[in-house]
Amino acid sequence: MVMAENREAEIDKNDNLYLGIDVGSVSTKFAIINDNMELIYSTWARSHGSPIKSVQDGFKEMQNDFIDYESQIRAVGTTGSARYLTKALVGGDIAKTEIIAHAVAASYFVPGVRTILEIGGQDSKVILLENGIITDFAMNSICAAGTGSFLDHQAHRLGIPIEEFGDYAKRSKTDVVIAGRCTVFAESDMIHKQQMGHSKEDIIWGLCNSLVRNYLNNVCKGKKLLPPITFQGGVAANDGIRRAFEKHLGQKIIVHKNFLTMGAIGAAMLAREYIEINNIKTKFKGFNVGEMKFTPKAFNCTDCPNQCEITYVEQDDGTIIARWGDRCGKWTL
Amino acid sequence: MKVTFPHMGNCWPAFKVLCTGVGAEVYLPDPNNVKQLDAGLKHSPEWVCFPFKVTLSNFIEALDEGVDNLVMATDCGPCRFGFYYAVQERILRDLGYDFKMYYLPQGDLLDFKWIKLLKALSEDKSLLNYFRIFRTARLFLMKSQLIQTVEKLEGKIRCYEVNKGDTTHTLNKCIQLIDDANTFNELNKLRKRIKNEFDKIEINKRDNNEILKVGLSGEIQVTLDPFVNHDIKRKLGELGCEVHMNLSLYDWIKHKFHVNFHRKYLEYLNKSQKNIGGLQMDIGGEAFWVMGEYIDYAQRGFDGFVHIYPFTCMPEITAKSILTKWYGNKYFDIPPIFFGFDEHSGEAGLITRLESYVDLLKNKKEKKNNGNGRK
Repeated sequence: MVMAENREAEIDKNDNLYLGIDVGSVSTKFAIINDNMELIYSTWARSHGSPIKSVQDGFKEMQNDFIDYESQIRAVGTTGSARYLTKALVGGDIAKTEIIAHAVAASYFVPGVRTILEIGGQDSKVILLENGIITDFAMNSICAAGTGSFLDHQAHRLGIPIEEFGDYAKRSKTDVVIAGRCTVFAESDMIHKQQMGHSKEDIIWGLCNSLVRNYLNNVCKGKKLLPPITFQGGVAANDGIRRAFEKHLGQKIIVHKNFLTMGAIGAAMLAREYIEINNIKTKFKGFNVGEMKFTPKAFNCTDCPNQCEITYVEQDDGTIIARWGDRCGKWTL
Repeated sequence: MKVTFPHMGNCWPAFKVLCTGVGAEVYLPDPNNVKQLDAGLKHSPEWVCFPFKVTLSNFIEALDEGVDNLVMATDCGPCRFGFYYAVQERILRDLGYDFKMYYLPQGDLLDFKWIKLLKALSEDKSLLNYFRIFRTARLFLMKSQLIQTVEKLEGKIRCYEVNKGDTTHTLNKCIQLIDDANTFNELNKLRKRIKNEFDKIEINKRDNNEILKVGLSGEIQVTLDPFVNHDIKRKLGELGCEVHMNLSLYDWIKHKFHVNFHRKYLEYLNKSQKNIGGLQMDIGGEAFWVMGEYIDYAQRGFDGFVHIYPFTCMPEITAKSILTKWYGNKYFDIPPIFFGFDEHSGEAGLITRLESYVDLLKNKKEKKNNGNGRK
């Protein structure tokens, strides 16, 4: 499992701690912040298929360091596409969408931010803010072109590690045009350009440009991107994409040092806010969640011809902690 | 004579009485569902819009059940819908089915071509039959009006319900009641009954400042059919939005009889925004009125506006682009959100966007109410 850990502030015995968990399609992110919004701990790991397992792995990792501080956790927030499942697993207080979480964190760490470009593993989003309030957002709805998974796939095909993508792009000398409308076309264009003898560097830079063009035309269509602009999500690690954005937008693109875990930090902040406003205690189950047994199960509802696939998660004591998958809403817990 | 017609959400009791009223027997296809849709997807052109695929699946199901008379609506409007009945007929014939296709011309109902359809559906060819036809038409209008009432109440009340699911339950019950009533007298009595049924739902009235008022509009089939739009009305309601919707079958019929003054007003609103790109004519779909609704809801101080359309629908996408520009340039202060629907069944993206949108509206409203957001 690829892991990236980050600790910025020391933990104090009297601190209130807030935990944020962001379970996306490709990676799982944890963040713990204190009252002063300092990052105590954050981690990023690739999730391999099962969100339950990745969350539990993350907890096992944290257990060593934080088991003594368990009582100081005041709130737990979850976000990402598996937010409800995670909330049920760990006993979270709120589950908010990644759009809100990213916006909340970015508006705190990058004061006055007006535009957030967020590209993750399976989706890409743009969020527009004004005075710290979201005014508009958009998300890719049809096409996955330009997301992390596609870049990953292409890096693999070209035989270079994804981490070096940015360096390759930097070394490019000429512009190679690659179709960005669709990943299928992009891929066949790339193969063609390779056969024509273009260098890997040029092709990668061309790919960065075409993905940015596609993102700006599809996701940001009709929206005004005002500075300051930040770039978040896994793909922000890719310097080539950042430079391509700067080239196309003619603006400086800020990449905050915590761009990867911004969603998790936002979730922690939202959880803190929620707990404080409503003045309630957290439902957090504790760090031993990593050792509990959760079994995902499924069945087909046969009450109507839709035959929805209902999935549910059973805890070791037999209680069902989450259930969904129905169109009509009668099974959802 | 056994007749079938495609589904459009809860409108089936109205269409049903149109056929039974003149003496035809009706086969009602199962409500749209995943299993049924398979056949429609298999035999539809790839780029056609989703309503085509759904209605085709309804027909295939009915034909497999031995029904041999199909009724499909048509229009002479500027969008592709006008050709659907003809293309569907060819597809079904190519599949080897033997049937007769009737079409309901609704381009302009005041030219009374629909009488021809009703005459064709009834076996009675005497003069007395005209009396039956007009009686049927009136029953159809009454039922569609009642359905409109039910759907409007449903959208407005769901966000207040105490027991989750009560509203959907009442909705289904009322639609069944409308289907069961078949005389003017019964239908007249139903008006009160429906109100009572909805009054029975246990509600938790909240402060006016807390409730988000959202307008819902879009292409008619997509907006009215909960299967096609992934039950977006229910989802919005459960997220705490009061959903207002003017679109309904009755609204559409009134429009085609040239007596829909609300739509005339929406057209006026649109035309009055000429300098910023308001549409000046009907370009097909519901684009013309969707934009009018947007302006109307903005002026009435609503919090949000949801526009839904079939993926690849040209007229609606035109409206979408203009609305995005209007909001971006701050001509109107009401954030629109757009959803295009096609055969996909994954809901994660839809739910993420809906939740974020509702959060956006909440923050915006709180900021308006007390000067600071997110508190």
